[in-house]
Amino acid sequence: MSTAAPAQARKRRLSQMELEEQLTGFLYILPATLLVAVFGLFPIGYAFYMSLRRWRVVDRGFVGLSNYQKALGDFLGAGIFVLGFVLLVVALVTWDRARGRREVDPIRRIGLPLVLAALGFLAISQGWERMYGEADRRFLNSLPVTFYYAMGSIPIQLAIALMLAYILFQKIRGQEFFRMIFFLPYVTPVIATALVFRFIFNPRPTSLANQILGVLGLEPKEWLFEPRPFLEVMFGLQLEGFWSGPSMALVSIIMFGIWTFVGYNTVIFLAGLGNIPRDVYEAAEIDGANPWQVFRHVIVPLLSPVTYYLALVGFIGTFKAFNHIYVMQEPSAQNTVITTSVSIFNTFYKASQFGYASAQAILLLIIILFLTYVQTRIFGERVFYG
Amino acid sequence: MNVRRFSVLAILVVIALVLAACPAGQSPAPAQEAAAPAQEAAAPAQETGEEMAEEAPAQEAAGPYAEVDPTGVEITFWYQHSRQREEALQEIIAEFNETNEWGITLVGEYQGGYGDIFNKMLNVIGTPDAPNLVVAYQNQAATYQLADALVDLTPLVNSPRWGLSEEELADFFPAFLKADVFPTFGGARLGWPPNRSMEVMYYNEEWLAELGFDGPPQTPDQFQDAACKAARQPFSKAVGEGSRGYELSIDASRFASWTFAFGGDVFDYEANQYAYNSPEAVQAMEFIQGLFNEGCASVVTERYGDQTNFGNGTTLFTVGSSSGLPFYRSAVEEGANFAWNVDALPRLTPEPVMNLYGASVSVVKASPEEEVASWLFLKYYTSPEVQAKWAKVSNYFPVRQSVAEQLGDYFAENPQYAKAFDLLPYAKTEPPVPGYDFVRDLVREAMAAIADGADVQSTLDQLNEEANQILAEQLAE
Repeated sequence: MSTAAPAQARKRRLSQMELEEQLTGFLYILPATLLVAVFGLFPIGYAFYMSLRRWRVVDRGFVGLSNYQKALGDFLGAGIFVLGFVLLVVALVTWDRARGRREVDPIRRIGLPLVLAALGFLAISQGWERMYGEADRRFLNSLPVTFYYAMGSIPIQLAIALMLAYILFQKIRGQEFFRMIFFLPYVTPVIATALVFRFIFNPRPTSLANQILGVLGLEPKEWLFEPRPFLEVMFGLQLEGFWSGPSMALVSIIMFGIWTFVGYNTVIFLAGLGNIPRDVYEAAEIDGANPWQVFRHVIVPLLSPVTYYLALVGFIGTFKAFNHIYVMQEPSAQNTVITTSVSIFNTFYKASQFGYASAQAILLLIIILFLTYVQTRIFGERVFYG
Repeated sequence: MNVRRFSVLAILVVIALVLAACPAGQSPAPAQEAAAPAQEAAAPAQETGEEMAEEAPAQEAAGPYAEVDPTGVEITFWYQHSRQREEALQEIIAEFNETNEWGITLVGEYQGGYGDIFNKMLNVIGTPDAPNLVVAYQNQAATYQLADALVDLTPLVNSPRWGLSEEELADFFPAFLKADVFPTFGGARLGWPPNRSMEVMYYNEEWLAELGFDGPPQTPDQFQDAACKAARQPFSKAVGEGSRGYELSIDASRFASWTFAFGGDVFDYEANQYAYNSPEAVQAMEFIQGLFNEGCASVVTERYGDQTNFGNGTTLFTVGSSSGLPFYRSAVEEGANFAWNVDALPRLTPEPVMNLYGASVSVVKASPEEEVASWLFLKYYTSPEVQAKWAKVSNYFPVRQSVAEQLGDYFAENPQYAKAFDLLPYAKTEPPVPGYDFVRDLVREAMAAIADGADVQSTLDQLNEEANQILAEQLAE
């Protein structure tokens, strides 16, 4: 008894110390937590609340999921559509895990992912068809447009940025100057630059874009005014449906997006390159690696955390992109440049359907969260942290 | 263990704080609650009317506002005018404040463009922050009225004490007044017009003469003939690239103008439905498509590019707002410097049918005293003397016919304005319905598709279906 009592007292004292530490810690994060809660989480919660109500200028009552049904048309179709994407993810993960494992049966290693992928594509196609019959086509059409915009922007801007960063990292003259030049588009107000790009991508034969085509021996194009698919306009490829790809007008906007964000990505890549120890380069050179091999087998893997970060942030950004698309859209492009963000804006401000616009915004949030999860699950595991 | 418990505790505290920050009783319907005071504020006006009806039937004809005293009331007015127009409007406001016999004080505030004002209004409707008077296009006013935010001006206009005499009312252009009567809100008058603009055809007189025409085209066939000739035969004084017959700026008002000219309308006011696929609308769009197919028309590719090209003598015809007259004048003077004029769109109707538009001023629900004070300013603003001053500065059309007597010098200096003014009796308007902004976007897309070769009938059928769907959603309870 006599020895146990001081031990308990000490434990109690320690607990009190721990309590104080914890409280101190929580007090430090409390202001930030409150700010995030009030200005971040609360609006999301309130948007969800609005999405369940019929809200046109004023609240007209609870309508359950009918706003979501209006956007998606058919919940079963939406479920099948999502299932299709899940199957694709599972196929990719299965293939990734079985890859290189010779002991695994080839049918399971290759056949299973292929079957899953095929089922995934089938489910996506069937789900989309079911939804399209009943859904708000303006909203639904905005989803592939957004997808085109993201897929057309991110890989290209990352590739260009990596290339530029690698060149700038080579101790060339005027490195700081070029770094500033490349970063300039990112810090220039997007509305101003988007307006300038409207002139560049004007259908006039004398516009800059058409003059460049002229130098290459190509006919002038309609650019921002062209609703036909890019592949058809430039290469005469006439594909159907989703596979026809983005319109020429959307590609013009994608080019603007790439121009804007390449500089930012370059600077981040440069910081990443600076963090790679010199020893690694030297070791590779001693082992006889040529510059391409150094780039492919040293730099690219060691930059993968940066690439992963930029891809993740880029995808989220492209799905939320609004300002320059809104400025550069033309009625002549019809609805081929209306991304989901623009569609939500139109529903909110032009149609004054606040509840329905909130439902669209929540659906966009869910899509972004799903894509972020998929990226983390698939590409996050491949990141090499050294 | 303790750490985990404290973590849970801390998270609960944060959640409690967040929940406390958003009280359940208030958050569900702030707009609805906020709207209540306005409705309550409006109630006395009705009650006053009811009491009067019970207590003094003889005074019933005096209307609900007969006993209201606006003395000493201070009211606000949100407008979009800037520069010269704002200066003139502020002068008008100052004169009203000095001369009105009730000591009403009006404070005029610039609140950005039409879109800015609309967005601000959506946030302040039904709150004390709302202005008393606000500039609003008809579709914007209709949106405000979805929240029951505006005053029906009919009792004030007809009030023996505050209103206008029959003679005064007859002085207003009928189409101007009709534009603010909303069939979708039981015929309520939700705005009062201080000015208007009109869609007119701009044409190059000298180029037309070179092409062998002795005047502006009166029919679509004549228009097509001239436009196609112009596309092939450039103007001798042209200072820019290309030669275009007609440059179409894709816009819902252009759609309405051409449909009017073909004898139709874009809205069926009896059925309260859009009529974008009416035979006349289809015929009008087939005509436009024909111009494109023949290479006689092109789409405007830069903001106000049609004005610039017209000024440079490279475009024979454009169709646009009469409020653009000063800009066309500048473009011509700085460009090819030729004789030009405006006229009605070529038509299939016996008389011209002109598309009239422009924002009105709506009175926001408040106390009866403030509502009367707001109306009294509108009455002053649309009095002939003030209208003459406002028309000269703003270059808009005045809303009263008698103002023409005071505009003799101005007409002489601006012959194109005078020509357009003569067309005002033939005006009609686009539909004043909620959600029209969204529908206008759909119309633009449909027009672009038609110009690009899409099937006219099916494109307009789809447009009409979508437009009516939006209208139904707007009007559903």
